[in-house]
Amino acid sequence: MRVVIAEDQALLREGLVALLREHDVEVVAQAEDGPGLLRIVAGHKPDLAIVDVRLPPTFTDEGIRAALDARERRPGLGVLILSQYVEPAYAAELMASGKGGVGYLLKERVGDVRAFLDALRRVADGGTALDREVVAELMRDRTAARDDTLDALTPREREVLALMAEGRTNPAIARELVVTPGAIEKHVTSIFSKLDLPGTDDDHRRVLAVLAFLRAGGA
Amino acid sequence: MESTEPRTLDASTTSANAGPTTSARAADAGGVSALLSAQMTVSALVGFVVTVIWAATGVGAFWPRWVWFALALALGLHWAIAYSLRAPTERQRRLTRKAAIFAVLAVAMPMIWALAGGGYFWPIWPILGLAVALAVNVLWHRIYPPARQRELAERVDVLTRTRRGAVDVQDAELRRIERDLHDGAQARLVALSMRLGRAEERFGDRPEVADVLREARGEASAAIGELRDLARGIAPPILADRGLEAAVEALRRRAAIPVTTEVRVEGRQAPVVETAAYFVVAETLTNVAKHADGAGAHVAIRLDHGRLDVTVADSGPGGADPDGAGLSGLRNRVEALDGTLRVTSPLSGGTTVHVELPCE
Repeated sequence: MRVVIAEDQALLREGLVALLREHDVEVVAQAEDGPGLLRIVAGHKPDLAIVDVRLPPTFTDEGIRAALDARERRPGLGVLILSQYVEPAYAAELMASGKGGVGYLLKERVGDVRAFLDALRRVADGGTALDREVVAELMRDRTAARDDTLDALTPREREVLALMAEGRTNPAIARELVVTPGAIEKHVTSIFSKLDLPGTDDDHRRVLAVLAFLRAGGA
Repeated sequence: MESTEPRTLDASTTSANAGPTTSARAADAGGVSALLSAQMTVSALVGFVVTVIWAATGVGAFWPRWVWFALALALGLHWAIAYSLRAPTERQRRLTRKAAIFAVLAVAMPMIWALAGGGYFWPIWPILGLAVALAVNVLWHRIYPPARQRELAERVDVLTRTRRGAVDVQDAELRRIERDLHDGAQARLVALSMRLGRAEERFGDRPEVADVLREARGEASAAIGELRDLARGIAPPILADRGLEAAVEALRRRAAIPVTTEVRVEGRQAPVVETAAYFVVAETLTNVAKHADGAGAHVAIRLDHGRLDVTVADSGPGGADPDGAGLSGLRNRVEALDGTLRVTSPLSGGTTVHVELPCE
């Protein structure tokens, strides 16, 4: 897995690089701002970009904009956004920006090294890894039930969908909800059919389901 | 000339109103009109008596007309002074009095001319002279308001400017603190959490050490979370990043109640104005969720002639206390920007909070 990093704070960039190298993840290049990210993505053809939301020169959502640009120039590029705050709207923009894995995690999640590396691999493989805070916020939105996209789902199916959005596999979801993997598979199939997702490959349908979930969040 | 309307602005008169007008005003409107009708009665009586005397003394040249004229003139002047007393401020009273006396004289002089038998219309000159004098007087007051008033106007200008300056400085300071937290303490805690995570991995074969490290990482995460909440309280990142429309949309999504929005604001406003509008919406929606169970809310924001209009209306039971702690906090925030906050909350239902914020 070839990874590039865009992070303006040296302390975090170096920490991240050290952590990834310890686990045999190849960091091929680093950047400090949005234009820098575009340059290294073009130059190094990475599988995955780890991007901080707040980057120079604007220090606002520069990272999201740069990541969207980078994906447009290199379709299929996995993007893992690291941020100090969660903003479901940004996650939805990334998900909607075409093919390729998307992750959106709070920075402190990096400390949970195993979970972080899992998320990294999933995103590089085209999957999703949304922070549980993002998912929780979207679920809170659901409880107000004013959007009918997901109304067809049962509460259990919504729970399953939320965990899918975090990027968990069926066995992992089964463990979390203390049911059999078979039961989860049934729920997942039911979610796909209720959301009217065509029977293409399963991974892609998972992404589409999560996207529907994000869209229903009004983002 | 009944003057029964209440003189609500009387309190604004200053102690500088010495002299006869003070005592005349003390008699108040009712007293003045009573005095005037007494004068009218006496005048009518005197007019009648002199006419009878004129008839009794052999109906010569009609001299009582001069007596009648004098009585009418006195009445007119009385009326003019009483009328001028109705103006709300001392300055206006003085000007109105001059204008009213001028009006009486402007009528009286042609009467004298007519009573004296006509001929060359001489009253045109004094009337023109008086009119010019009055116009100059009015203009003079316009251009050179009394010193005290000028001083107050300047003071208000300065205070408005400096208060806005103070609010802007405070806002900039808060944002600087937020940036410092993000780049400083928060970043260090994240770096710490990464290091703890790496250490945890290395001590994988010694669970007692790994557990302590995991707990330490949990503490670091909690601290990061608290700093994040603090930063969000200063100004939510999406407001700074994307502006009011996106931030209100985020509030809609986060709200515990169904909310509809209608935001029509092109371009960005001053950060302090955007922040105030944002918190008005955020806190009002929180209030609705807390007090109006099951109610929905509608948020409308638009930019209108240099004013940001923010309206949050809910379908709750109404009867909100406009002076409650939450609302008075918002009111302070809004009034510091020279804005206004109005709460309509009839017991029959629905509460509307309407805020107007001036934008340069």
